[in-house]
Amino acid sequence: MPGTGDPDSLDPREGRAPQEDRTQFSALLEDSAEDLYEHAPCGYLSTLLDGQIAKINTTLLDWLGYERGDLVGRKHFSDLLTVGGRLYHETHFAPLLRMQGEISGIALELKAADGSRLPVMITSTVRTGSDGQPLLVRTTVFDARDRRAYETELLRARQEADLERDRLKLLNTTLQKTLLPPALANVPGLDVSAHYHIASVDEVGGDFYDLFPLAAGTWGLFLGDVCGKGAGAAAVTSLARYTLRAASVYDPDPAAVLANLNTVLNHEYTGTDPRFCTVVFGVLTPDPDLGGFQITLASGGHPPALLMRADGTADYLPTPGGQLIGVLPDAHIATTTVRLAPGDTLLLHTDGLTEAHTIAGGADRYGDDAFLDFARSLAPTTASATVGAVRDLLDTFGTGVDDDTAVLAVHVPRPTGEEQQ
Amino acid sequence: MTQHLTLHTRTTPAGAVVELAGDLDHRTAPEVRAALPRLGIRPGQQLVLDLTGITFCDSSGITALIAARNYALAAEATIALAAVPDRVSRIFRIVGLDRVFPTHPTAQAAQDSWQPTPD
Repeated sequence: MPGTGDPDSLDPREGRAPQEDRTQFSALLEDSAEDLYEHAPCGYLSTLLDGQIAKINTTLLDWLGYERGDLVGRKHFSDLLTVGGRLYHETHFAPLLRMQGEISGIALELKAADGSRLPVMITSTVRTGSDGQPLLVRTTVFDARDRRAYETELLRARQEADLERDRLKLLNTTLQKTLLPPALANVPGLDVSAHYHIASVDEVGGDFYDLFPLAAGTWGLFLGDVCGKGAGAAAVTSLARYTLRAASVYDPDPAAVLANLNTVLNHEYTGTDPRFCTVVFGVLTPDPDLGGFQITLASGGHPPALLMRADGTADYLPTPGGQLIGVLPDAHIATTTVRLAPGDTLLLHTDGLTEAHTIAGGADRYGDDAFLDFARSLAPTTASATVGAVRDLLDTFGTGVDDDTAVLAVHVPRPTGEEQQ
Repeated sequence: MTQHLTLHTRTTPAGAVVELAGDLDHRTAPEVRAALPRLGIRPGQQLVLDLTGITFCDSSGITALIAARNYALAAEATIALAAVPDRVSRIFRIVGLDRVFPTHPTAQAAQDSWQPTPD
């Protein structure tokens, strides 16, 4: 122990008269060996080789609440242990001590006289005679109550952190769900399917989609991607969703809807924290003469939609010149109109899919060309088959998908009896 | 998984040239935004972002470039991009930013194109 009994700290060679130092030193340590043993700040215990207690210091007796006569010559060390501790002592502690001659830093619980338990740290050495034969075992016992309390506190803090993280994940998932429609509208004569892939439960992504009725038998749909992640992105996602719904009621022209969204976002977010989204907005109009639908798509800088036709061909529907929404005061919005004939499937996606790493941890990303090949291999198809195939594709990428991904597919079924699977 | 981003800034009479290398994504984009106020752009100058070493750019990366543009415009300066990799220029075409950022084949070409505004 520092200060009290370490003769090295009072080295007589350090200048002062050696005799004077020796006197002071002896005065300090008056009958020290015995007192140090008995009242050391740790417990001392000597046991015979069979574990019988031969000697024990006052400190340890006080901790345990025993009289010396209760233990010396009467009890074994293992009698002081709990049942679990005794097992551990028999199977690990004692054999290791025999083998190595010493063992240190073992955490055990001692039973006090009143039945209470004292967490301790034990170090034991075997004392051998001049012939090398083991004579007895010397053990120091350190009070580990503070340490145990500290560990319990650590464990509790960790459990609390785990709980908090679970709560946050739940909150994120809930928030994510509120950004998506609970159910897509049921459009007569149209097969609709969608999927949202959450890349990380720790960070809310910013993909969104919806399909909903507009006036006079027409239908609106949109799919978009807000830049960034987290609460900031979620706020923009929410604003974008409701602005699109409201703007399309006021004027359903797809270019006008996106122009309105652009104005709203541009007013809201400027400077060094710009927020933008890319989005496709479409209006579906049933074609009573030819069957199927006419769809007008407006794109604000979003990856082009894929059309998988009834004849087995597939192509992107480019909308060149469209600009992302929210950062330019007068963003250009490009539109295209196509007919969705019976058997055709239109697929909208966000770039979480095409930017996914094809192998988790790899450098290669999936890409637009591979996605077009994928669509060509599916066509002709249906909405649910397409979304099912995309889900399988995302599964093969595993954790290579590092951004959220949304897909929305609409399909015009062939007249009954002609539908291909 | 993704590569880190490195920024090297040098000052020319035409304005700061920032060389970016690595992945420009949601993890690294804040570094670009944080670097903007330290560039000391003066009115009439041109901020050049040299993208030669950019290996990936996602929507957050684009946000950083837009933030740089907003910063330059607020300082009454202009912005130009140099050596835009094919991957990035393809994304720029999709999001329609190819008509918003003047681009040059090299940083030197960008500097050469700069004309001091007559006061």
